[in-house]
Amino acid sequence: MPAAVRLALIAGAAVTVAVAGVWASGNLGATAGPVGAQDFEAQALQIEQQLMCPRCINVRLDHCELTICEDMRAEIRDQLAAGRSGDDILLFFSDRFGDAVLAELPREGFNLWLFGWVGGSILFVVAIGATALWRMRRGAALVPAGAGGALDASEERWLDEQIRAREGRE
Amino acid sequence: MNLVATLGASALLTALAASLFAVGAAVAGQRLARPALIEAARRAIVVTAALTTLAIGVVGYALLTDDFSIAHVVAVSSRDMLPHMKWAALYSGQPGSLLFWTWLLSLMLAAFALLTVPRIPWGAAHATAASGAILAAFLVPAVFLASPFDISPVTPEDGTGLNPLLVDPAMLVHPPFMLAGLVSTAVPFALGAAALLSGRIDGRWIRAVRPWALWSWLLLSVGNILGAWWAYTTLGWGGFWGWDPVENSAILPLLPMTAFVHSLMVQERRGMLKLWNLALVFAAFALAVFGTFNVRSGLVTSVHAFALSDVGPYFLAVLSITLGVSVVLLGWRSGRLRADHDFESMASRESSLIVNNYLFTILALVILGATLFPVFSELVRDVRITVTAPFYNDVVGPLVIVLLVLIAVGTVLPWRRAASATLVRRFRVPLGVLAGSAALLAALGMRDGFALAAVAASITLAYVTLREFVIGARGRRAAGGQSWPAALLALFERDRRRYGGYLVHLGLAVMAVAVVSATVYQSQARGILAPGESFEVGGYTLAFEGLRERAGTANGIETEVLAAVTVLRGGEAVGTLEPGRRFFRNFPEQPMAMVDVDTGWREDLYVFLQGWDADGVAEINAFVNPLMAWLWIGSGIYVLGGIVVFAPQPARERVPAPAVPPSGATTEA
Repeated sequence: MPAAVRLALIAGAAVTVAVAGVWASGNLGATAGPVGAQDFEAQALQIEQQLMCPRCINVRLDHCELTICEDMRAEIRDQLAAGRSGDDILLFFSDRFGDAVLAELPREGFNLWLFGWVGGSILFVVAIGATALWRMRRGAALVPAGAGGALDASEERWLDEQIRAREGRE
Repeated sequence: MNLVATLGASALLTALAASLFAVGAAVAGQRLARPALIEAARRAIVVTAALTTLAIGVVGYALLTDDFSIAHVVAVSSRDMLPHMKWAALYSGQPGSLLFWTWLLSLMLAAFALLTVPRIPWGAAHATAASGAILAAFLVPAVFLASPFDISPVTPEDGTGLNPLLVDPAMLVHPPFMLAGLVSTAVPFALGAAALLSGRIDGRWIRAVRPWALWSWLLLSVGNILGAWWAYTTLGWGGFWGWDPVENSAILPLLPMTAFVHSLMVQERRGMLKLWNLALVFAAFALAVFGTFNVRSGLVTSVHAFALSDVGPYFLAVLSITLGVSVVLLGWRSGRLRADHDFESMASRESSLIVNNYLFTILALVILGATLFPVFSELVRDVRITVTAPFYNDVVGPLVIVLLVLIAVGTVLPWRRAASATLVRRFRVPLGVLAGSAALLAALGMRDGFALAAVAASITLAYVTLREFVIGARGRRAAGGQSWPAALLALFERDRRRYGGYLVHLGLAVMAVAVVSATVYQSQARGILAPGESFEVGGYTLAFEGLRERAGTANGIETEVLAAVTVLRGGEAVGTLEPGRRFFRNFPEQPMAMVDVDTGWREDLYVFLQGWDADGVAEINAFVNPLMAWLWIGSGIYVLGGIVVFAPQPARERVPAPAVPPSGATTEA
């Protein structure tokens, strides 16, 4: 690739990123939740977001429409007004309805098996995959070594272009 | 006797018989070496599809004529339902969705029998037998366990009506695409089974399966995208993907199918990954069956609901048989699945495709495990838990970042091998873009590490993808002196697979930025307001003007309550929104949200009426989702790329062989 084109591409990419970044940056500093007089409501909302509807499948408390959820939201406000902390309120609901109402899975006890499954899956695939790659690679040692290292820079460049051109055709 | 129901039930029963005949005739034809029998079996698949089409036509007729003597019509329709909504009624409810699924399956397999089976003499009998067996497996529950033609004990004056969740325009398109995507995995499965059964596990099955795999991948993608759009525009939680068990079931088959449409290229070009490719198509089909089973059986609600379900145990058996057959077939033929070539280098496109495959495998295992984990928790210790979005975002998010980076790496790497000097040259600029964009975003105030990494990776992916277009178009210009637009178009004409694929990657990069932006930088606020009061969210002021009620006119809607909201920005009114709540006559417990969204290039303002009291004080939930529209724009690019890849390649011009190398460099033939 000629140096001028490469430079133009880099410059183009940088400008695009900068423009997109500046354009979107109005959003970057934003933090969830409003300020001022809405503080109490925002605090309640934050707790609601950590709870699930006890009757539904995967519906968060803050947007559930069931009566039981309306009652739970009212309960959160009452308890907040009475000065209880967010953690206390979460504990109150998980005691009452079980762990299923907690949006964030407690990382303890039996639940650790899930984290074990995630880690195990990654390790398993990486281990099996690395072995398979190694076995597929093994035969390649038989390929004559001349094709790679023995070329000078211009030959290397020519070969690269040919392969690219061929890829383009395929 | 109800003639309509009898006709439909007979059609279904005959369809089951035809599918079983196809299995028997195909097996006998192969054993006795009687091509006429194999041909009869192939035609029986088409007959099965025709009979299933007749059955679904009968259901449609019963729905349109309000035939409330049929239990299924009573359950999903009502007199005031508009005809286009009756299309949605066709696939609602257990019997309806099961028949619709089976119908789409029969169409897919009939198309396969007509278009592909005649061109694969090596495996026509095996593919036909597999098709018949799959059809029979899904016709059995439609005939015996959840028939849409059961007669209602009494004939009511009017039906219950459509489930409120389905009374939405998006529901007219999302389920058909989703179900079509799920059933389309059956064709690659049937072809893979045919390849293994016949022992012809060479390039031929890969050539035959390619269009079907792409078709399936495209349908599954569109189904999932439409599902996200439906969730966003109707559910009222300001998001588009909730990691719901049903959503997970829908995306799971897409993962191995995506892996497969990539790894089949490695088999085409290098004769590698034969066993792996078969495992992927089997996994995709097994996961599609799992999805059906998972959703239909009530397993997602609880283990106890599963025990009460009619079709649950049946689909569990189908799933077990699918898995058992797959494992046995693969084990039986594994000796023949040796690669034709070995790897030449870890730094090659094939190796990056393989590593991408590993990532898709990990994603599928993680999502499957997390979807089933609540079931295990209930079974093992009788404690119900929920695995929700935060868990998935924590686990899947980083994996997707790795995926984006790997796609970029794969785009830059050449096939077979690259010398280290070439590698350095090719990676210098993309690495610069990655580091530069990360630094720039950090300088602009992006503090969330996850968002920073994801956006920088997306920008790099977009850069290397666009660079491929520029390089290709420049080559065309140099060769033919075309203008830039003509040169770009010529790229698509010349190599649809390659450049269509790049378009999909580009769409993915845009989608990733939108997903991160609308998730990490979402603002949410709630106002409890009397008319005239206002609250603020993400720079907007929302003034509540008052509530109004309007009577429903059709589709079982009794009444709609709407809240008028004036949107102000910097003290100036910039628009009005009217979120509401819709009540259904026969589903008083299930009101539906009527979300109102002000969509913009930069952000969406999403407003949802949560509730109100007798004094007219309303509870309004509002979200600001930055860059949300780009999720749909990116999806559009993705689907467009998918269509380009899928569209048939015009006859290829022959290109003369390259000139003789300048020195003694040897290239392998």
